[in-house]
Amino acid sequence: MIKENGSDKKMSTKIKPYEKPENIINPNSEFSIEVQNLRKIFRGKKGYDDIVAVDDVSFTVKTGELFGFLGPNGAGKTTTINMLVGLEKPTSGTAIINGYDVYYALSHIKESIGVCPQEPSVFKFLTGLENIELFGKLHSMKKAEIKEKTNKLLEILNLSNASKRKTKGYSGGMLRQLNMIISLIHDPKIAFLDEPTVGMDPRARRATWEFIGSLKTKNKTIFLTTHYIEEAEALCDRVAIIDYGKLIEIGTPPDLIKKYEVKTLEGVFLKITGRRIMEGI
Amino acid sequence: MNTQRILALLKMELLKLVREPAYLFLMLLFPAVLTITFGFAFNDPELGSTFNIMVPGLFAYACIFIIMTVSQSFTELREQGVLRRLNTTPMSSSDFMMSNLLSNMILSMLQVLIVFALALLVGFKSNSEILGILFAFLLMALFSLSSVGLGLITASISKNAGIATGISFIFILPQMFFGTFLPMTSNTRVIAVFMPSYYATDALTSIFGGANLLSVNILIDFAFIAIFSIVIVILGIIIFKKYGNK
Repeated sequence: MIKENGSDKKMSTKIKPYEKPENIINPNSEFSIEVQNLRKIFRGKKGYDDIVAVDDVSFTVKTGELFGFLGPNGAGKTTTINMLVGLEKPTSGTAIINGYDVYYALSHIKESIGVCPQEPSVFKFLTGLENIELFGKLHSMKKAEIKEKTNKLLEILNLSNASKRKTKGYSGGMLRQLNMIISLIHDPKIAFLDEPTVGMDPRARRATWEFIGSLKTKNKTIFLTTHYIEEAEALCDRVAIIDYGKLIEIGTPPDLIKKYEVKTLEGVFLKITGRRIMEGI
Repeated sequence: MNTQRILALLKMELLKLVREPAYLFLMLLFPAVLTITFGFAFNDPELGSTFNIMVPGLFAYACIFIIMTVSQSFTELREQGVLRRLNTTPMSSSDFMMSNLLSNMILSMLQVLIVFALALLVGFKSNSEILGILFAFLLMALFSLSSVGLGLITASISKNAGIATGISFIFILPQMFFGTFLPMTSNTRVIAVFMPSYYATDALTSIFGGANLLSVNILIDFAFIAIFSIVIVILGIIIFKKYGNK
């Protein structure tokens, strides 16, 4: 039996296999991200129900768009990102990134994406600079190019002074900033930022959000998950709200605010997710 | 495989050795201390040539501990989410594994150099020519592959670095006792023939005893070390890719 994420609802165990799209390579697509009926089921261990983490999710993100992916804890945001960047295999549905299918052409995708994971993941015995240099080289960058971009990013995110120190001694906020620099050092076409500002002090958070906003002008596609709804409202071109693995709403912040007759995007978020809790879905 | 990526990862691996005190101690200082202690204790005229007999075992002993450091290193990277992050880059698993194999081969040769130099200082007498010593380096580099493989298997079945340390002794102790330090009797040999360290110690004993490098005994030992190492490292990579990299 399958247990829907966070609920007791029982569902059929029949799973539609991952479909091979007609064209697994289509770099001329106008969309950076195309997701169709994406589903992820985590098989329960013996005696436990299966969990549907992402359930039949479909959406598209245009090139150059800053797309906010919002939802309460455990809604399926990170699982969705993990599928889009190739860390988890979808159970069914399709996902096309930069024209390449995540299942059949992952190596092409890895060249053009930057992933900032929710938890800072860096080599603790290396300095900030060494970490950045290592990841730059893994993306086939030249040393001079890495140096130039690193200096810029360190300055923007106020991390220059700490860059020559081992990351073992970094604060949580500094690690998160380094985490983001690493994900953007190779100038990716699409950046997947999974709650990049959690744990940052207000000054660092503001600098980071301004920086994320500035990426829009460079025609970068940003796929962002965050719990700071007011900042998502200010920055994102469109947002999607996911809960219990299902995509409930998608649109521009002004359109959603108008539709739900509230004053802010946070109001929309609370109205949608709160109602679902009250209805016991 | 991509050379730039492998070199970048190799640099990182070697920096880890220098910067992590636990690794530095276990990999370089521990063999050094062990060699000096054993030299001091056993290089005694009353004991005859005991120290000379023990030195080949010391080489293998140092290399066996690679099992522990590899398993700890991989479980730590997995716990910290670094392996997942690396998986989102264009780096292939072959790049990553190759850098690990190379760094551990370099490490094993460093260990051999340290043990050999210190052993000479405290009274070890080698009857081998320079070519034999170089061959000993090659043998230990090859032997280190089996330790990397066993380290990967350990990391695959260990939830965290602490558990990996404990489990690694399942592979370390039998190799340490039956392959290197226990005297070979009809009882111990039955088990020892399944330990790659037995062939490494046996080959080094022959080499430092001045035997011809093309002698049947050395060639058989070499063949067994090569077969053990290649099979174990391939098995380790397959198991880690399937179960360890989650």
